Amino acid sequence: MSQATLERIAPMDMGDLSEARDRDLMARLRRGDEEAFRGLFHRYAPTAKALAQRVVRQSHLAEEIVQEAFMAVWRDPGSYDGERGSVRSWLMGMVHHRAVDLVRREEAHRRRAEAAIPQAIEEQADHADDVVQQLGLPEERRIVRAALADLPGEQRDVLELMYFDGLSQSQIAEKTGIPLGTVKSRTMLGMRRMRDMLAEVER
Amino acid sequence: MTRDHTVIEGLMAVDALGGLDGDDRALLERERGSHGTGCAECALLEMGFAETAGRLGFALVAEPVDDAIVDRILGASEGSSASEAALGSPQPPRDELEERRGRRPRVWLAAAAAVAAVVAIAVVAAGTVMPSTTSVQATTSQRLVVFTGETEGTLAMAFTPGEPGAVFWGGDLPDPGAGKVYEIWMIEGDEAVSGGCVSPTDGVVAVRVEASIGTTDTMAVTAEPSDCPSTPSSDPLLTADLTTMV
Repeated sequence: MSQATLERIAPMDMGDLSEARDRDLMARLRRGDEEAFRGLFHRYAPTAKALAQRVVRQSHLAEEIVQEAFMAVWRDPGSYDGERGSVRSWLMGMVHHRAVDLVRREEAHRRRAEAAIPQAIEEQADHADDVVQQLGLPEERRIVRAALADLPGEQRDVLELMYFDGLSQSQIAEKTGIPLGTVKSRTMLGMRRMRDMLAEVER
Repeated sequence: MTRDHTVIEGLMAVDALGGLDGDDRALLERERGSHGTGCAECALLEMGFAETAGRLGFALVAEPVDDAIVDRILGASEGSSASEAALGSPQPPRDELEERRGRRPRVWLAAAAAVAAVVAIAVVAAGTVMPSTTSVQATTSQRLVVFTGETEGTLAMAFTPGEPGAVFWGGDLPDPGAGKVYEIWMIEGDEAVSGGCVSPTDGVVAVRVEASIGTTDTMAVTAEPSDCPSTPSSDPLLTADLTTMV
């Protein structure tokens, strides 16, 4: 074989690279690679904790949820199906489901602590930016926030109440006074739009 | 006639956000049943919404996490082998691990035999445990391979089997050191051929290699003097095993 030649090209979309890296970590995790597990944990646990904390409103409960979710990942990495989506969304889905389950069980307890955690996404102090900066996640945050900001306000409000506050569709209708049918339709339209906008960014 | 998916789509959108309650939970199950397990559009809708919901969490500012959690998880697993076995242990069979650990260094040993002037590479690589490589199908015909190794950062290679050329992308790669560059190697049997040298700019590498990698067993990256030697002079920092590709 003769020596090959190199040609510089435009940088790859870092989102693709990031997902390829995640899938590699998951493949190594299936073989019991502890370093791969640590890599996945350090990459996503801070955002997973932020999500859990936003839903359950208590830091220690959020850490318990993160621990429980990552324990499930470590014990059964085969539960991730690469055909069904990205590693990051799968992980966040596991954390979110656990957080919502918890608040549904401990509704009264959660509401008592509600004032303890800042509400608005924009108002939160960026405690861990120095960590996530290395991981390329601020770019993801910018993309998702921009897509959310692009939604009509009434759709964004419903999505945020449902996802970040852990409210069910009926609870949102009750809290806002919006008819249940309207909550459902705004959710569907908002999710369609978010899905399409995020997909557009990936192209 | 195309079936209307509006009802199931609405239910799935709410479900992805965790907001489904009341009779709608049962309604979603009925809708799933009526569309059937082979409903491709249903699967696409569900996956699309799940992906979207998962990404919403990244709008939040990350929170510091106690590093001890990861040690507790790993420690708990080590101390509960019985329950772990019941859950399905992530550990591979021992002989598979040994086989994986043994295979790649042997490739490097063979490569080093062909380049006898450079002994160090074989010695160091033989003692190195390298995790195996993952490949994913990038498009119908393309393959994306992620390199693994001890070096920080990420390096991936995309190529089309049977066609010349491969594209390499890297991010967060450390500087190879003063007077050094990264050199890409294609290993086939006992022969190592340089794919060229490259220096990252702000940790980023993006190059196309004009060579066929169709019969290459292993790709590797070493740090080499900037004159880009034709034989490797150091141990591999990153490798990608192409023999296990799907």
